[in-house]
Amino acid sequence: MMTLTKAATTGALLAILSGTSVLAQDTIKIGVLVPTTGSEATYGQDMANAVSIAQAEINKAGGVMGKQLTMVVADDACDPQQSVNAATKLVSQGVAAVVGGYCSGATLPTLKIFGDAKVPFVITAANSTKLIPANPGNAFMINSTGDDQATKAVEFLGSKGIKSIAIVNEGDAYSQDLANLTKKAWEAAGKKVAAFETVNKGEQDYSAIVTAIKAANPDAVFWTAYYADGGLLIRQLRQSGYQGVIAVGDGSNSTKLFDIAGKAAEGVYAFSNPTAEFLPAAKDFSATYKSQFGNAPGPYAPLTYDGMELIADAMAKAKSTDSAALIKELKATDAKGWLAGPIKFTAQNTLARSNFIVLVGKGNAWARADQ
Amino acid sequence: MSLLDIISHQLVNGLVLGSFYALVALGYTMIFGVIKLLNFAHGDLYMVGGFLGFLSLSAVSSVVGADWPGIFVAMFLSMIAVGFIGVVIERVAYHPMLAAPRLSILITALAVSLVLQNTVLALTGGQYTAFQTDLGFGGLNLGSLFISYNQMVLVATAGVLMIALHLFVNRTQFGRAMRAVSIDMDMSQLLGINVSAVIAVTFFIGSALAAAAGTMAGAYYGSIWYFMGFLIGLKAFTAAVIGGIGSIPGAMLGGLILGLLEAFGTQIPFIGSEWKDVFSFAVLILVLVLKPTGLLGKSEQERM
Repeated sequence: MMTLTKAATTGALLAILSGTSVLAQDTIKIGVLVPTTGSEATYGQDMANAVSIAQAEINKAGGVMGKQLTMVVADDACDPQQSVNAATKLVSQGVAAVVGGYCSGATLPTLKIFGDAKVPFVITAANSTKLIPANPGNAFMINSTGDDQATKAVEFLGSKGIKSIAIVNEGDAYSQDLANLTKKAWEAAGKKVAAFETVNKGEQDYSAIVTAIKAANPDAVFWTAYYADGGLLIRQLRQSGYQGVIAVGDGSNSTKLFDIAGKAAEGVYAFSNPTAEFLPAAKDFSATYKSQFGNAPGPYAPLTYDGMELIADAMAKAKSTDSAALIKELKATDAKGWLAGPIKFTAQNTLARSNFIVLVGKGNAWARADQ
Repeated sequence: MSLLDIISHQLVNGLVLGSFYALVALGYTMIFGVIKLLNFAHGDLYMVGGFLGFLSLSAVSSVVGADWPGIFVAMFLSMIAVGFIGVVIERVAYHPMLAAPRLSILITALAVSLVLQNTVLALTGGQYTAFQTDLGFGGLNLGSLFISYNQMVLVATAGVLMIALHLFVNRTQFGRAMRAVSIDMDMSQLLGINVSAVIAVTFFIGSALAAAAGTMAGAYYGSIWYFMGFLIGLKAFTAAVIGGIGSIPGAMLGGLILGLLEAFGTQIPFIGSEWKDVFSFAVLILVLVLKPTGLLGKSEQERM
């Protein structure tokens, strides 16, 4: 009896094993590099969800070259050390391409790993200009870079009659980059940067910075980093009685900001890449997303969906999953786009247009401010 | 703002921040005092205290409200619960290691820290939890200086807890036993002191103080998450070293000094706020160079 059971189990195991190996030949693995834990988990999970919707749609329509796409999600935790491990894991699992990349600081060190392994990488959210020189040629950025955001920030705050600003960043690649670019553009417009401050990530008490900002008395405060600490800073600024304009970069464009900052987030401006609710083409996508995951898609869902579609499209056009052919096809992309508008790349593999819009906090939600 | 305004504002900021540092530093220093362990899980007990305070407040807010009275009840419940967690950690993780080399128990402490962090990470999915309270925005205007009632209550509560601890350690029989154990554990045992009970009570009090700080921080800043104990753990450890590790008044003093250093470090002209930690750690190094035992630490003489 004992041996019989054993034999049966072994047989079943063998069947499963051979089953998976047959399956593996018929599928194309796509890596998804996003933070699914840690302070930026909301965005990362959102991006992974968007990829899974694109994957399901592509597979339903017959897959790519008759093969089904499978997703391999790797958690970078928005941490440069963990992202290196996550990227190495994806490469060792033999993914044909990678989509994702949320935190610029965590995405930066993975470029070399994907570059060495010659894996095409479509970056759908991270947008620090530091990524551009570090790109070995296999990465493609479909989000507008920090340059475009700084230009938009200077233009919008200028239109509100702001003469002097305080810029606060968190000392990481993304927020420092945006802070420096904004400072440069703001000063180039002949205006004053009253204070330029850096805070530590995860420090709960920003009262000393708040006092320093109030002492400098700027017309507006521009927070260039993420929502978690941004919510705390906004709350403490308002609690101390600061009444000027507060604006935040696209890293803080989350409804979680309202949970953390409370009523203090009312009237805060956010610069953002086009989110699903403001994209006519994303209506069906939003409905699918909502029925599947129970909440509305977050700010990077449409771009990440597009990233997955872009990869599938390039594979279909190249008629191959060979990385050199795929990279060549991606470089030559001239697509009318899927949800977030046309995709075409510059010589440096960045999106050839700016796609930033301005939102304002109203009744615990974001509303369009520049229309 | 005039220079005087800035200085008085930063003084208030530093006092509030310093109160948090001091409460957490006390646990570090007490535990180091009795079993010579740097309990690196201590910052995480602050975090757990924040979460348990949040849960307690959700449970009691319908009865006592979510203003300070409710927060005090939640804080008290959280202190008791985290105090027991601290005792359990000591019994399970540290007690069997007391005879082992110091390095082994230090690594155990790091492991406990990871366990606590990852448990909360798994339970919360790494998300920030909004700590909803009904705290108002009111305060006192002293000239151009504004001090919120919340800041006053916070500093006062920290003060009361520290005075209570001071009285307990210096005026009670048990406090005397605690001091004796910190001087010589073996001798205390020979004299009939229940060393094991003293260690347990020390962990209980240290952990409860961290929980008090965690609950108040959650209520005051409005959000909590699984990693909130890491940075304050490091800062509180620094505060304990500045004050002289093992010394209870030293931890209080060190916490306040570090809070003030950070507040004023932000404001140094021509040096940006990114240098404030460099400034405070430079002071730490200076203290250690001039007085290696910390400000109130006692030097131990060893006869050869």
